[in-house]
Amino acid sequence: MSNTHTTAIGTEPFDKTYGIGYQVHHTDWSPFSRVNKLRQDFLDRSYDIDVERLRLVTESYQAHQTESKKMQCAYAFENVLLNTKLYIYDQDLIVGEIAAPAKAAPIYPEFSVNWIIDEILNSPFEEREHDKFFIRNDEERQEILDLCKWWQGKTVDDRLQASLDEDQLKGSEVGEKIFQTNLYHYAGVGHLAIDYKNLMKVGYVGLIKEAKKHLAALSKRDPEWAAKRDFYQAMIIMHEAARTYIKRYAKLAMATAKETTNQQRQTELEEMAANCYQIADGTPKTFWQALQLFNIATALIQVESNGHSISYGRMDQWLYPYYEADMKKATLTKDFALELLEVEYVKMNNPTKLKDQGSMAVRNGRGFGGESLTIGGVDRDGNDATNDLTMLMLEGSAHTRMMNPWVCVRMHENTPYELKMKVVECIRAGYGHPKLYNDAPAIKAMMRKGMTLAEARDYCVVGCVELSLPGKEYGWHDAAYVNTPKMMEMVLNGGRSFNTGKQLGPDTGSLDTYTSFDEVLASVDQQFEYWTDQMCSSLNIIDALHRELKPLPYVSAFFGDCMDSGKDLTEGGAKYNGIGPQASGTATCADSLATIKQLVFEDKYCSGSELLQAIKDNWEGHDVLYAMVNSSKVHHYGNDDDYADELFKYMFECYCRHITGRKNLRGGDFRPGVYSVNANVAMGMNTHASADGRKKGEAISDNMGPVHTDAGSHDICGPTALVNSLAKVDHSLATNGTLMNLRFPQDAVAGIQGRNNLLSFIDAYIAKGPMHVQFNIMSSETMRAAQKKPEDYKDMLVRVAGYSAYFVELGKPLQKDLIQRTELSF
Amino acid sequence: MADKGIVFDVQRYTIHDGPGLRTELFLKGCPLRCQWCSNPESWAPAIEWGAYQSKCISLSKCGLCTPACPVKGILNFKRDKLTAIDNSKQVDYTDCEKACPADAIKQWGKTMSVSECMTIICKDKSYYEQSGGGVTVSGGEALLQSEFVLSLFKACQKEGIQTCCETTFYADWKKVEALIPYTDIWISDIKHMDPMIHRQYTSGDNKIILENLKRLTDLKQELILRIPVIPNVNDDRTNIEATADFILNELHGRVRTLQLLSFMRLGVEKYQSLNIPYGMEGIELDREAFQEHVAEIAAYFNRRGIHCLVGTKEQEDTKE
Repeated sequence: MSNTHTTAIGTEPFDKTYGIGYQVHHTDWSPFSRVNKLRQDFLDRSYDIDVERLRLVTESYQAHQTESKKMQCAYAFENVLLNTKLYIYDQDLIVGEIAAPAKAAPIYPEFSVNWIIDEILNSPFEEREHDKFFIRNDEERQEILDLCKWWQGKTVDDRLQASLDEDQLKGSEVGEKIFQTNLYHYAGVGHLAIDYKNLMKVGYVGLIKEAKKHLAALSKRDPEWAAKRDFYQAMIIMHEAARTYIKRYAKLAMATAKETTNQQRQTELEEMAANCYQIADGTPKTFWQALQLFNIATALIQVESNGHSISYGRMDQWLYPYYEADMKKATLTKDFALELLEVEYVKMNNPTKLKDQGSMAVRNGRGFGGESLTIGGVDRDGNDATNDLTMLMLEGSAHTRMMNPWVCVRMHENTPYELKMKVVECIRAGYGHPKLYNDAPAIKAMMRKGMTLAEARDYCVVGCVELSLPGKEYGWHDAAYVNTPKMMEMVLNGGRSFNTGKQLGPDTGSLDTYTSFDEVLASVDQQFEYWTDQMCSSLNIIDALHRELKPLPYVSAFFGDCMDSGKDLTEGGAKYNGIGPQASGTATCADSLATIKQLVFEDKYCSGSELLQAIKDNWEGHDVLYAMVNSSKVHHYGNDDDYADELFKYMFECYCRHITGRKNLRGGDFRPGVYSVNANVAMGMNTHASADGRKKGEAISDNMGPVHTDAGSHDICGPTALVNSLAKVDHSLATNGTLMNLRFPQDAVAGIQGRNNLLSFIDAYIAKGPMHVQFNIMSSETMRAAQKKPEDYKDMLVRVAGYSAYFVELGKPLQKDLIQRTELSF
Repeated sequence: MADKGIVFDVQRYTIHDGPGLRTELFLKGCPLRCQWCSNPESWAPAIEWGAYQSKCISLSKCGLCTPACPVKGILNFKRDKLTAIDNSKQVDYTDCEKACPADAIKQWGKTMSVSECMTIICKDKSYYEQSGGGVTVSGGEALLQSEFVLSLFKACQKEGIQTCCETTFYADWKKVEALIPYTDIWISDIKHMDPMIHRQYTSGDNKIILENLKRLTDLKQELILRIPVIPNVNDDRTNIEATADFILNELHGRVRTLQLLSFMRLGVEKYQSLNIPYGMEGIELDREAFQEHVAEIAAYFNRRGIHCLVGTKEQEDTKE
């Protein structure tokens, strides 16, 4: 083992075992009873819809109808912060919510209202199958309807519907869903990490001072004088409102302290009040104050807009000086630092976002989602950046085990052994965090976006897997979900939809007409060009509408280049500007091409027309061909088989090529991502059968993963083969990120040997060069679920000495025996 | 030296037979017939074919295997689906397997050259290096094809890949001796100390096995020893004590780890596919009580000073 030296330590041994596989119904993960209580209180709270933001914003817009958009935004924000009801929760140590009670979702009418009205009237939020929300009473229901009606015609959504042409509409979420731009069609953009380091250094007062300085220096000879003046004025109003908001909390904390009879709680509340006064009028002086400022500043970004994935940057780096100083002065213990972190972790779950049904389908979950917290990695000089907080932040994650934060560990060749071990212990605990990011390809990807090496090394992860430079990049990550198998449908079927038979795109040939495989590839290229044209032009329209209707002066202040240039984030004020739409179903396309190449053009096992007919018939009545396409006799991606892996590479590069370099309105360009998160399931529901042996309605392939159809998994050679396949593409071409899920049975990672094997596997993975990986460690519950629904668990291998078999192919009694054995092993 | 062997499975990323992450080759043919064996497809030295009824499309809707078959009428169908294949008549079913679109016919065993094996083995070299893993040759009985193993291990040594041989040691000592310079770790097992009972359950003489184990430990080779703990066969006190005595007195205690592998009802589906009756059908097991019993046996060995663990690990796990 190399790298056995580091000074970074948490409160627990670096190799502490956090368990094997997620066990449900625990209430006491954390060593701190306060944290366990706050966590339980969170879980017990209901998901309400809160009317207050909608009410206060509408009131302000109605009072300021003739002002510029920036000023309207500023007054609305101010009205919310000065008047929203405040909450301090029992035992909490940090204050500040998103202008709604914890876990209640505010409404953001600036972006869209039609779906809210429609869902209230026709498919109530309370009656959803999942992601339910509750409006508190009929009066509020009526109030929401009335207020939303005032906004009709004024929102991003309304304007967009009128701006798209027919070709764009038919491909989009309102048409055949070849690409889905839902997220920023109906809501804010988010997907950024601010410059927390600078915020901590100068505080709100410093930012306001700077804005005032720039405002005073503006020249009337500048043709953009008025726009810049409004920008700075709006920014000043909003940041002053933030200070007022913090002081309102300070007063409330003092008032609550007076009422409490518990001496200890009284002291805590008084200190919380003092923390608030300090950060309202100055800069944080302690670790606790730094966390308090972080919480407020981040929450308010989500009051300004409901764009999600407001990420926390390299938190172990920017927070470290406060930890270090307190530790040196001996005013902080490691235990209390960890407790504060865990309190903040629980709090990070409070912001809740109401999403429309369509977005909900591609993006399950009621939290905002995507709040990534990046730790580890190299510093700007290329040296390992691990510190005590890196370790504590992982411990906090294992102690809280909640949706948020999405802890992401940056890995590189010199990541210390102790950190890797703690990472592995968290992964083995099976709660789904942390995800791992690979510095080498990620830094290469950042440099492809035009950044310097030092900047590239400072990347953080935003949202699921997107790379971003804190305080310098407005990447519009996660801009659209692209259903590439739908584009492949156009390739097979002369540009026509299988679902409707209608002509959708250009006729670039079909399986009836192709005479060589090269013609098929040329057709793929043409369809991808056509549909990415439609999508990217649509995204530029959406981008322009956000600029026009919803500037973001509050968050812009945290981007130094916006501050200096007088340009809002939406106007291209950030140093780096992107739009990142992501491809889903790459392996579905790759295995489709492998089928066509091998069976139609090489083996002549069937004609193109026969294959086309079988797909049109959803494989019904084509049992032999269906079995063949899904069998090990056809080349499939994920088996370390160059034949199929080359085709995966072709599809990956084809998508990246058609996205990369297109210009956007903010002076930046488009960046491809290759991932689907869980959207591949919803996309599959809406997609006809495909040439890889998928039937209508089945999920398309997930992220960078291989194909799994109802007839079987297409990857059958185990994880090392899969990773070798995955490593054959240059991940850095996907400058908006790639995503890989790997699933291991608990058995494979159990015990010291299992732990060491997983650690070695990760080392080899990082050395091979894929960009991202996250692990699923299977539990007995999963095996029981597999018994109930075996068709979904076909690839689940159980391995025993000298013997391996697919779980679902085994008899019921043996399955039971295996489940028992697994439970006995820990 | 044999350049080619008959391999019935190559598994990448195995973690149970030897340290670290490994690629494991399963060689066909075994002289023993242990009743609890979970790999009946490994028994016969020649290539065999198995039928997986659940994957068969059906004779009426597909039936592509029948015209491809060199002997008419030899394939059996039950309720329209292919059932167990008759391997007793020396028929080559290769074309049937090729014709089947559904992977319902599985060919057990494939002739592979050393270089073909090395191509696959080398693909995961970086995983071995990171984890202290390598290659394991298993079976069947690997030593039935000892010359092939020798060539393969020489090639591995050239590549710097660690080698491990899992064997019953039911083989001529000369074969073992030839492999010693090229084998880093040996894995073997003691199924029973009583020659009569051993013969009854495995059809082989344990004298050869025990003798080979003695010679190997005399030469201080790395050895992981196992006991497949089979209820009411070898888990009684007398046999366990005799095994401990043998390890301490005859093997000089030179065992890296003694691993107890609890009986599992594995391989039933493979028996069915090959039309071989399963010998352990009658065993009824209270899994929880049995696991406790196995843990007690492990504790006994440890008390006798033999490093013994349940399962295929070599290190005790840390407790939370």
